[in-house]
Amino acid sequence: MNFAATLGLGLPIGIGLAAIGSGIGIGFLGQGAMGAMGRQPDVLPKLQVAMIIGFGFAEALTIYAFVTMFFLQGKIQ
Amino acid sequence: MKLFTEAALSKSAAEATLLRARLLLFGGVKVMVIYGGAFALTRWPSLELWPLIAGLTIPLAALFLKAIMLAVSSGPENLLRRAPSTAGSSGNLAKPAAFIFLAGALLLSAAPARSEEPHALSHADSAATAVAHTAEGGAAHGEAHSGGGSGVAHLPNWITILNDFFPQNAVIHWMHENEYLVFAWLAAVVFLGITWFGMRKPTMVPGPIQNAIEWMVESMEDVCGGMLGKHLHKYFPYIIAVFFYVLSMNLIGIIPGFKSSTSTLDVTLALALITFLYVQFTGLRNLGPLGYIDHLAGSPRDVVGFIMLPVMIPVHILGELAKPVSLSCRLFGNIFGEDTLIVVFVGATALCLKASLVALAVPPMLGISALFMLLQALTSIVQALIFALLATVYLYMMLPHEEHAHGNEEHAHAPSH
Repeated sequence: MNFAATLGLGLPIGIGLAAIGSGIGIGFLGQGAMGAMGRQPDVLPKLQVAMIIGFGFAEALTIYAFVTMFFLQGKIQ
Repeated sequence: MKLFTEAALSKSAAEATLLRARLLLFGGVKVMVIYGGAFALTRWPSLELWPLIAGLTIPLAALFLKAIMLAVSSGPENLLRRAPSTAGSSGNLAKPAAFIFLAGALLLSAAPARSEEPHALSHADSAATAVAHTAEGGAAHGEAHSGGGSGVAHLPNWITILNDFFPQNAVIHWMHENEYLVFAWLAAVVFLGITWFGMRKPTMVPGPIQNAIEWMVESMEDVCGGMLGKHLHKYFPYIIAVFFYVLSMNLIGIIPGFKSSTSTLDVTLALALITFLYVQFTGLRNLGPLGYIDHLAGSPRDVVGFIMLPVMIPVHILGELAKPVSLSCRLFGNIFGEDTLIVVFVGATALCLKASLVALAVPPMLGISALFMLLQALTSIVQALIFALLATVYLYMMLPHEEHAHGNEEHAHAPSH
């Protein structure tokens, strides 16, 4: 197994693993925020803002893997 | 079908071009008829569906234009362009530096920064001429630390096509080498122009443009005011400027022939570094040097805090340094990922156009990718919002008397319940 093959196998798997983590995080966030919104609809705007920021943080982890993939993609020849 | 095989098997280039042009025309007419019929059906019951129709038509028209631009620009070997690789470390350093200088001069409009502007411009110009004769395609494994886009296909824009038609023109070549600078300036001009046009004669009862601008600014003010409280009016101009700048740079990539400047790591890194420096400067000015060091040490107040000091200081410094990296990589990754998605679908559509399969394959392909363009618009707005909100959060962390401000805010909100 040479370098390019390892990279070509590893990059998609890495993105997939990162996406699993981000998905779990976003799922928990959404669950909590939706539950809180359902119980207390008058805090909805503040909750939405906090939720979107949290989504941004959770999603960023997959984006790091994605950016790494773009940086290393050229080395697969 | 006969025409298609003729076009595919024809040996003469001129004949093939003629046939392809004819088929393109017929296919375009067919698509127009199909979609025109669909829209006529949708709007038949009432005229209430105008926003829906516009929302469907604009992405479809944009995609069709993008695909046509891809199909009619030069030969099939560069159907999907490689990003121009910026080899040479001087170019890689000079262009972000120039962008930082210019954006800093725009945002702060301070006298010393403005005096730096021509210097930075000439620096970027010389660097561009230094890398002017770099080969465009094929350099897929160039060191990807500058653009991030090297080695990845992207759509041709108007500057690429101009560069194809006038390969010897120095100005167009410079624009081609520094596409993202040109489009960043264009986005800034569009955003400033719309704002000026809408707010040049503000009235008590606002017109449509003034109403839209006021609504957006007031919404952002509400959102940021929840965090910053009484400090809002000091920092709001920076936040709203960054928000609208990033938003217009993101959204300009949807228009056919334009490119999102934020799909380049240089631009997002420059914006994130400006935010980072502004946040640190705010912290130094508000907390004072001692308070700033105290903040970096995690505000130790008891014995355990002072024992943990050698651990906490590096952790906090690393946390501060991670902020610009995370800001820039998040924006770049999202916008670039969306762009790549669109490139894949538009490339498939353009392949169908080139094979003269217009009426067969283009409408469903356009329909699928129009959904992704709506997703791209959503991502653009959300990412600009996240960039501005994270800048707000970082500023909020640097403000003194956090408990006090928090108490005030709760006190202010208490009567409304």
